[in-house]
Amino acid sequence: MLKKTAIHQLSDLTSALMGKGTLVAPVREDAGFNFREISDAKQVDLNFHNTIISPKSVFFPQTEDFIRYRTGRPLQEAETVEPEGKPLILFGVRPCDVKSFEIMDIHFSCTGAVDPYWQARREAATLIGYAFDVAAPAEPEEFYQTLGIGAADPEGSDIFMVRRGDDLILKSITGKGEALLAGIEGLAGASADDGKFFDDTVAAGRNFKTRFTCVDAKAITKKLEDLFHNTDFWEKASNACLSCGVCTFACPTCYCFDICDETLFGRGTRRRVWDACMFTDFTLEASGHNPRTKVYQRLRQKIGHKYSYHVRKYGVISCVGCGRCTRHCPVGIDIFSIVEEAMKA
Amino acid sequence: MSFEPKILGIACNWCTYTGADLAGTTRLQYPQNLRVVRVMCSSRINPSFIFRAFQLGADGVLVGGCHPGDCHYNTGNLYARRRLAVTKKILEFAGLEPGRFRVEWISASEGNKFAEVVTEFTGQIKALGPQTKFKIS
Amino acid sequence: MAVSFQQIEEKLKTEARRLLESGQVSLVLAWGRGFDEKHPMPYVAKGASDVDGIVFNEFCTHNLARYLVRYPRGTKMAVAVKAADSRAVVQLIQEDKVKRHDLVILGIPVYGIKNPKTGEIIDGKTTCGLYNPVLYDILIAEEVHGQPVSSPYAVLAEYEAMDQDARFAFWKKELDRCIRCYACRKACPMCYCDPCFIDQNKPKWGEKSPETPGNLMYHLTRFHHLAGRCIDCGECSRACPVDIPLYLFHKKVAKECEEMFGQAAGMSIEDKPVLVNFRMEDSDKILE
Repeated sequence: MLKKTAIHQLSDLTSALMGKGTLVAPVREDAGFNFREISDAKQVDLNFHNTIISPKSVFFPQTEDFIRYRTGRPLQEAETVEPEGKPLILFGVRPCDVKSFEIMDIHFSCTGAVDPYWQARREAATLIGYAFDVAAPAEPEEFYQTLGIGAADPEGSDIFMVRRGDDLILKSITGKGEALLAGIEGLAGASADDGKFFDDTVAAGRNFKTRFTCVDAKAITKKLEDLFHNTDFWEKASNACLSCGVCTFACPTCYCFDICDETLFGRGTRRRVWDACMFTDFTLEASGHNPRTKVYQRLRQKIGHKYSYHVRKYGVISCVGCGRCTRHCPVGIDIFSIVEEAMKA
Repeated sequence: MSFEPKILGIACNWCTYTGADLAGTTRLQYPQNLRVVRVMCSSRINPSFIFRAFQLGADGVLVGGCHPGDCHYNTGNLYARRRLAVTKKILEFAGLEPGRFRVEWISASEGNKFAEVVTEFTGQIKALGPQTKFKIS
Repeated sequence: MAVSFQQIEEKLKTEARRLLESGQVSLVLAWGRGFDEKHPMPYVAKGASDVDGIVFNEFCTHNLARYLVRYPRGTKMAVAVKAADSRAVVQLIQEDKVKRHDLVILGIPVYGIKNPKTGEIIDGKTTCGLYNPVLYDILIAEEVHGQPVSSPYAVLAEYEAMDQDARFAFWKKELDRCIRCYACRKACPMCYCDPCFIDQNKPKWGEKSPETPGNLMYHLTRFHHLAGRCIDCGECSRACPVDIPLYLFHKKVAKECEEMFGQAAGMSIEDKPVLVNFRMEDSDKILE
């Protein structure tokens, strides 16, 4: 199904979507854009390149409560927080971020223990993807094309949007998307010309230029494994690294977390909070031993995990090239430049 | 019901706490809103205690130490004076009412002063009303 | 007057090469090429062959004093510093984190350094506003004459004029945004505690989750820990992915410390940090 709406009527579309479920969409904030739950249809703003924090926070929030308890009371009185299954509409997700959900699914629903919180939200969600502007050059930090993700790939989205001048073309990709799109009144039908524009954009997105050239995941995996003991290389790569958590928190495919109990006035919550492999205490063991005390060990772990161990174990690189880590790094470390250096080393 | 503030008092073992004892043994009357914690020296007070007290619902914090020059450890309160002055500026710039945090030098023989300070400070906090800014709801 | 970034880069390379070849130092902390022109990176030259990688341009904001504490004590190091950065080195010497005789300080008098994210010139607003390093062994360019147009504390006026409630609302709005990535403390040359108080479990000083209580505790305590030590380089604010103007609070505390104790952080290696020092004559007025 192919529909369209004028950009200045976006709030009509978003308010219609709000009637179908909880709407999460990009919102302009003081520091930039972020995905937020929408309470007023006019908040949604599509004039963004990409958000500061990736939309993983919608399915996997930075803080997630599991158990609420009272101290000194029997365990049976503790309440578990049930996963939410309310219909959720995630609007305006860039193709690289859509791809990231597939990678996250590996960890949260496809292998080992299923995470009920992730799965409930993921199943309840309808994804509305949004193509990058293929007429404008890519931002300098991005390299999704390198990892085989086009600037306008509709795969993975339920509905995919392409902007054409002052119009927004919406195409349903899955049955779920088609059902949602059919239920929205007031959308104009799109012409055959719009359909062609949509297909052309998707095609143009495949040939879109971002930094770096294509990669051979197998070769990288092997090379990074070989380099593991090359301390000089990793020390050099991590000379500038401050070992903060910006890269991991902004990353759409980082999924590490910490479980902590926060108790106040006898009432407590057992919650999950994002953690970062770049933090010193991430690997600190109860004995006091810490296997990764040096910055280079942590950076090696991060890069190795994304480009080597993950490929060996699950077959895909755990990176979608959105460029957030590079964009927000206080010292300008660029993850893929290090991989490139590694290939030359 | 009238507002009865919760005030945290942090008193040094050697002067202010003994001063508070004196106020008690001489049966001086002062409001019961103060909950006193005894520390060995005013310089033992980590500024985070004060931030945390406000977070946990204190409406005011009163710190008592020996008069400068009289510290049991010679110089403890001289460090504390500088440190707590900074704490006060930080609380103010963060937007907390300046009257909610006070430091007083009260010696072991100043039972009267202790009672007076507590009475005055409690009145001041009552006038300011409940502290809601830092309090974790 | 004009600063030639090109000349500074050349001179940095010459000095770095000389120091490394003579064996006077085992490493030189400078800036190198990042993924593009706008993003130079902190760079470590460990041998003469690394020297060509040194870069200096208008986007070299980073305070390299941050890296001094990473190397074992006694490592002979050369460090390139701008004005505010040199104060950080002085402060670290005062705190005995590095030894003066282990360092060769390459002082760079410079102005017009820009924040790569916003393109804004950082002089004065987010830094201490000095042009010339306060301590150096080798001067990389001519000293800049003339002092900053306005006081580095001028930006505070607007916030000091606010009433308590408005100021609280302002800080609450800013600090609520914090995602607790700890880039501020990691970028800070004076934040070298291991572990940081907020990472401690016993006692647990504040919540780990990025919500108002923990954020307030973390930031207020951090402002306090940097009182009289913050040298106003502005790295915390530039490192912040959500643009919290931490520099404002640090500046305010620095200003108060200067007024109360008559000493600015990191100006002389003879000084003692103000909060580990006292004077009998300190007035009780500071507590009012």
